[in-house]
Amino acid sequence: MAILIDKKTNVLIQGITGSEGSRASREMRMYGTNVCAGVTPGKGGQRVDGVPVYDTVEKAAHYHPQINASLITVPALAVKDASMEAMFANIPLINILAEHVPVQDSAKVIAWARKQNCQIVGPASVGIISPGRAKIGSIGSGKVRHIFHPGSVGVISKSGGMTAEISVILSNAGIGQSTVIGIGGDQIVGSDFVDMLELFELDKGTKVVVCFGEVGGTYEERIAECVKQKKCTKPIVVIVAGKFTMDLPEGTVLGHAGAIVYRKKGSYMSKVRALRRAGIPIANTLEEIPSLVKQFL
Amino acid sequence: MRLYEYEGKNLFEKYGIPTPRRVVLNSPRGKITFKPPYVLKAQTLFGGRKEAGGILPASTLFSARKKIQKLCNMKVHNENIRKVLVEERIAAISEYYVSFSYDTSTRSPVIAVSAQGGTGISRAKVVPLDFTFDSCLFLFRRALSQAKFPSSDILKVAGIVKNLWKLFISEYAILAEINPLFKTKGGAFVAGDAKIILDDEKVAPGKRRFIELGGDIAILASGGGASLLNIDALIFHGGRPANYTEYSGNPPAHIVEDLTKQVLRRKGLKGCWVVGGTANFTDIYETMRGFVNGLGYVRPKPTYPIVIRRDGPRQEQAVAMLRQVAKEQGYQFHIFGSEISMAETAKIMVDLAYK
Repeated sequence: MAILIDKKTNVLIQGITGSEGSRASREMRMYGTNVCAGVTPGKGGQRVDGVPVYDTVEKAAHYHPQINASLITVPALAVKDASMEAMFANIPLINILAEHVPVQDSAKVIAWARKQNCQIVGPASVGIISPGRAKIGSIGSGKVRHIFHPGSVGVISKSGGMTAEISVILSNAGIGQSTVIGIGGDQIVGSDFVDMLELFELDKGTKVVVCFGEVGGTYEERIAECVKQKKCTKPIVVIVAGKFTMDLPEGTVLGHAGAIVYRKKGSYMSKVRALRRAGIPIANTLEEIPSLVKQFL
Repeated sequence: MRLYEYEGKNLFEKYGIPTPRRVVLNSPRGKITFKPPYVLKAQTLFGGRKEAGGILPASTLFSARKKIQKLCNMKVHNENIRKVLVEERIAAISEYYVSFSYDTSTRSPVIAVSAQGGTGISRAKVVPLDFTFDSCLFLFRRALSQAKFPSSDILKVAGIVKNLWKLFISEYAILAEINPLFKTKGGAFVAGDAKIILDDEKVAPGKRRFIELGGDIAILASGGGASLLNIDALIFHGGRPANYTEYSGNPPAHIVEDLTKQVLRRKGLKGCWVVGGTANFTDIYETMRGFVNGLGYVRPKPTYPIVIRRDGPRQEQAVAMLRQVAKEQGYQFHIFGSEISMAETAKIMVDLAYK
């Protein structure tokens, strides 16, 4: 089993004629994902490696009514419009690749997604993979079969690079993955750890979930709350990056747009304390993750 | 991007939010065209200005000039003061607080308001705003009413809040704050201070983050998450990081070249650590080419150990090229791929640098 995507996922790629879009399309099809169609305004009627391109999402959805997910690979400043277009066509799952989407645009898209019952993953998401079933986005890229293996551990990561790094470490320890999700490191994201944990909670194929968090925002603190309220009862292992930022001035922005130094809530200590109080094991290094996970398998 | 108070107040004026008469000076000799009493405010980007003595009253032009001189020579929390904002002093009967920002727990904009504003404000009423209702004014009146603003002020303050919201949206701010919002005897409202942070993604896209950390091991990290984790690992093994910086995605060689020059400019370095995870789509050959190009500009020529741990597309070509360059130039490269963990190379770096 898996969450979000499986063999029944039929994907539309918005921005398919661009370099990111066409590469993702190629990789996804090589992995066996159904890529039904693409959209690039003004390039309707073309094909990208055999995938038909339409001018609008509405038209793509008309000719391919099975579409139930959209990968958005357009540039950051076009993300809001593309996401709205997908929601207007009632597509229930949207994965946004672009980094550097303005906070305001993300917040607008998320507000509408709540009303439209649409699940947004991203922005700045490297993608989603349910190993052996399907993948959306550039996750794993050329080495996807080497990195990810089917199994019963879910992975949720703010960092795209860490989706691969953690999965390699798990795979090398003989631990496969149910679904691996790059949720993105922006301040405001469509799906946070808790949104994904709630889906994993219902997934019979997932026994343990690994979360890669970092300083900034309150998404890690929310994991602790969710566990305390018993909304997530499956074992979780968390790693929090950015301990060294404790002495930096408040407001300093690090790698990801959401990795902002806070003094109180949102700081490294606030996250680690909240997680510890909720009884959640914390890995200090990536290499500690497999042994912490194995105790629950 | 943080704005200075005077920049924020210029924006307030543009959006119809009343501001005091004022002038920005960088020396005591500047012209002041309006009458005392004044408030003199050191222009800083970070908070804690009042407690640090950065705000002074002046009842005469003469004392104003003396105090401006004093402010121009001071530092507030390590910030050098370059500009002083001279303002007419507002006689206020109350001070309110209003702001817009984004909240990661509701993942929406929030309005925060308080009928007891001013320095040291502790508790404001925070109300999430639903973007699908756009800028419906009732949402602002509702928040003011929940925060127990006097009924007689709600309409007037809501008018100012509406303009602040326009600024927040049109300028792509992530924080727009008026604290205090003065209420005068005549029942007028004037913005006493302005705190505005604009969204870098909109106003300065592609801005590279570089933070001095004061140590002696230079770090060129890739990946937002990996870069944080790796500095933690280096410190855990006893290393002293010189800087924080990061490149991610798939940058062309010249970007990495520039970063390399910036990172290795520091004197007294004992090592350089080029580190990243197994890349999904970063062209390792291209980025390593940028690194060695940058290295070629560093004077004196680096003789300290350089530990490189990378993997991903075109790793084999990258390693071959690095070995060739090391042989030709005599650099001390220690090259690793994903067969050894990032954390282990932190230890290798520390051992080599401090042996």
